[in-house]
Amino acid sequence: MPFKTPNALLHGTLDALILKTLVSGPRHGYAIAKFIEDASDESVVVEEGSLYPALYRMERRGWLEAEWGESELGRRAKLYRLTREGRAQLNAETAAWRQFAAGVSKILLAQ
Amino acid sequence: MKRSLRSWLWRVPLDQEVDEELAFHSEMRTRELVEKGIDPRIAREMVLARIGDAQRLKRTCVDLGRKRDREMRLTQWLEELRDDVKFAMRQLRMSPGFTFVATLTLALGIGANSAIFALADATLIRPLPFAQPKRLTMLWETNPQGRSTVAPFEFVAWSERNRSFGMMAAVTAASSRATTDADGIGEELDSQMVTARFFDVLGVTPVVGRTFGSQDDRPDSNVVVIGEGFWRTRLGGDPNVLRRLITLDGQPFSVIGVVPAGFQVIAKSDVWTVLNTSFMRSSAGVAHFLRVVGRLAPGITREQAQTDMDGIAAAIARERPEINRDRGIALQPLQEALVGRDLRLTSFLLLGVVGFVLLMCCGNVANLLLARTAVRRRELAVRSALGAGRRRVVRQLLTESLVLALLGGAAGAAVGVAIVKVAPALIPTGLLPAGVTLAFDGRVLMFCAVTAFVVAIAFGVAPARQATGISLVELMMSGSRTSSAHGSGLRRALTVVQVAVSVLLLCGAGLLLRTLFVLEDIDSGSRATNVLSMEVSVPFANPGLPSPGPYATEEGRANFYDAVEREVAALPGVKSAAWGGALPLDGGWIGMPAHVEGESPQPEGLRPIASYELVSAPYFRTLDIPLLVGRHFDERDIAASASVCIVDEAFIRLHLRGRNPIGARVVVRGMNTGGRPLPVREIVGVVAQVRQRPDELEGRPHVYVPLAQDPAPRASLVVQPAVGSAAALAPAIRAAVARIDRERPVANVRTLAEIGAQATSRPRFRAVLVGTFAALALALALVGVFGLIGYAVLSRSIRSFLFGVPPLDVVTFISVAVVLGLSAALATAIPAMRAARVDPVEAFRNE
Repeated sequence: MPFKTPNALLHGTLDALILKTLVSGPRHGYAIAKFIEDASDESVVVEEGSLYPALYRMERRGWLEAEWGESELGRRAKLYRLTREGRAQLNAETAAWRQFAAGVSKILLAQ
Repeated sequence: MKRSLRSWLWRVPLDQEVDEELAFHSEMRTRELVEKGIDPRIAREMVLARIGDAQRLKRTCVDLGRKRDREMRLTQWLEELRDDVKFAMRQLRMSPGFTFVATLTLALGIGANSAIFALADATLIRPLPFAQPKRLTMLWETNPQGRSTVAPFEFVAWSERNRSFGMMAAVTAASSRATTDADGIGEELDSQMVTARFFDVLGVTPVVGRTFGSQDDRPDSNVVVIGEGFWRTRLGGDPNVLRRLITLDGQPFSVIGVVPAGFQVIAKSDVWTVLNTSFMRSSAGVAHFLRVVGRLAPGITREQAQTDMDGIAAAIARERPEINRDRGIALQPLQEALVGRDLRLTSFLLLGVVGFVLLMCCGNVANLLLARTAVRRRELAVRSALGAGRRRVVRQLLTESLVLALLGGAAGAAVGVAIVKVAPALIPTGLLPAGVTLAFDGRVLMFCAVTAFVVAIAFGVAPARQATGISLVELMMSGSRTSSAHGSGLRRALTVVQVAVSVLLLCGAGLLLRTLFVLEDIDSGSRATNVLSMEVSVPFANPGLPSPGPYATEEGRANFYDAVEREVAALPGVKSAAWGGALPLDGGWIGMPAHVEGESPQPEGLRPIASYELVSAPYFRTLDIPLLVGRHFDERDIAASASVCIVDEAFIRLHLRGRNPIGARVVVRGMNTGGRPLPVREIVGVVAQVRQRPDELEGRPHVYVPLAQDPAPRASLVVQPAVGSAAALAPAIRAAVARIDRERPVANVRTLAEIGAQATSRPRFRAVLVGTFAALALALALVGVFGLIGYAVLSRSIRSFLFGVPPLDVVTFISVAVVLGLSAALATAIPAMRAARVDPVEAFRNE
């Protein structure tokens, strides 16, 4: 049974996943969702109701930059790109996650 | 998925942005499901179900997007501003010569303006430092000759009968001097006598103790209010000051209060004593020597008060027509009355002049910028072609102007501070009213900032407008590197305006300077200049006191004056020494109603006023005032002998036309007359006219009376040296006075030449200042002028500052034309010489 956003995803985790997705280059919203789902073997499902507000919010905070580009279908699509601030944010969130996961693992996986 | 340059142009409204993005998403999802083999219709429904409430999602996104856009616009604006400023700084650094000249020009313009603003602010704008200053009103008596100070009996009548003023108070018009030994050293200080409610009318809160109350309005009042400055410097800020006695003119007074340092009204004063009202109803109350201040009652307008006072004036005239016929009452806002017409005009004149200077600065900088913009047209055109919008380019140019103006404004503030710092030494004493000080404060700084901003817009608009008219194609086609067709008309117009303005200023300055020369040549009536004068006082003592002292009697005072004159005359190096009253060109005088027997009889209050001068026998010889008819005073004219006087030409014109003056008898009140019958004096001589003020057109009638026959409490000692400078005699004369009475203060030691210079100091100050600004303007115009000469326009307002010079004075205008011609020649010669040095081949290549 796959996790569903937003309830199942810990707060802030979606942001981190989006940032991580964009490290390899600019993508549009659908591609971001698709990448996260594919990369997590569909164990994480990104709901539209969470994804787009998150994108707009992150754009407002300056972590992402949006521009109109051409999609693979030759139509114009809004592409998101990681900014310098976004990259810094990703590093911070990754470090926090690492710490958090290590702590939770220590308890849950204790022999 | 490739980025395209077109993304720049694909700006869409937020609403559409969200719709399009979500629609794209849905389509991609549907397509994904269809690829997995699901029926397209079902796939679409699945996607819609997955999204849920699409409207709500859209609203959330639009909302977030709107906030995002707002913040981005601000950030972008700030970033652009930062870039513009950086770019502007780089541009300015790249042309240090231009930057220096422009900044210096602006600094001079803004600096001069801020200093004059400080003056105007202090005198015209800033409200008086009193409670509700707008309610304070000065009251004057009006009579057929004009406006005058108020007689005590009038003050009493006005204050008792009016219904418009909450309170009224009177103060002696001029500050008088008092001597004190507050700290053991005898010294003169400025004092005012005021009625008991004076401080209450003005709303002054004492720093220590209290001010006067109605209980102090007694003839034997011996209380004094002192100023904070006097308290701190002379009494060392003594905390027990209220228990101190200070001696004023030999009488002990107890200090009851200290008023704030800034409190000064009408004249400078260190101490205030009570002017009691009990004498005011008597016949002694007819001399006009009071200034009256009232505070309008709540809800009463100045017009209502004027109507009220008109009624009172009419009633008083009916009751006592012999002294009140043709007299009215005039009200004037206190601020206007204190600042005075002279200073107001000077402030306005200077504001106008520096305004013009600032205009010149703007013109010059605009010209420089236009020249620069012409050179930079290629750069600007390329910038436009690369997508910088017209507004963006204008903004960039305006930012450059603003940065330049900020530099100029900062430097200008520094110039202003420097001017305000040295100004007090240059401003003639007495031009600024007591209590008004020049200061470079926050208000002046604000003025600098606003001026800089306005100036930036003023000189920045022209180049910005010029720059936006450029198209790249046009520029490339024209092929010229530095086309100057654009804006050259504008530059020519600017130059013409500059020349016109500098001509205007030069004419004004020229007229003022000519006025000055006329003033310098003025004939005071006394041909002596190398004469030393000083004031000596022997105060009236109160005869009711236990030890009235030697000067309580007329004889005592006469003896003192006589002894001093002998002692000084006997000094080595002294040619002659004498006593006098008001000296030529010194401005002050004592007026007494005069009547010649045989004229139609008139009550004393309506007789023409003559300047009443108490002099000793050698006075006219010492001052070199020619005797025209009759004899000088001599040792026969003592208190016991017949009462005599000498009159002057103006007196003859007024009273004795066609009569032999010698032997005519003049009825005139004396300093010691009091309630006794008026003395009748026989004319024994006529002397030449003396001027009291440099701008006096018709001389004032004078009556000279022997000092021995009416010994005043104060007189001026005048001494002419046998050889050498008069000023060098001062120590010997002081010592001689001290040998007669060590306690008599000697003040105001000046030569007649100094008095004359002081008398013309205000017009000189104006002329020098306007001249300086005009020179500045000329220098600025020289920068801008290239062979263009404009025509002069003469301002009407300059006329009110001229005396003895007609507004169309030929000498002035010829001089201006010559100076301007020379300037224009110089301005054309420099570019011509530069052109002559250019290699012709190079010049052709440039074409």
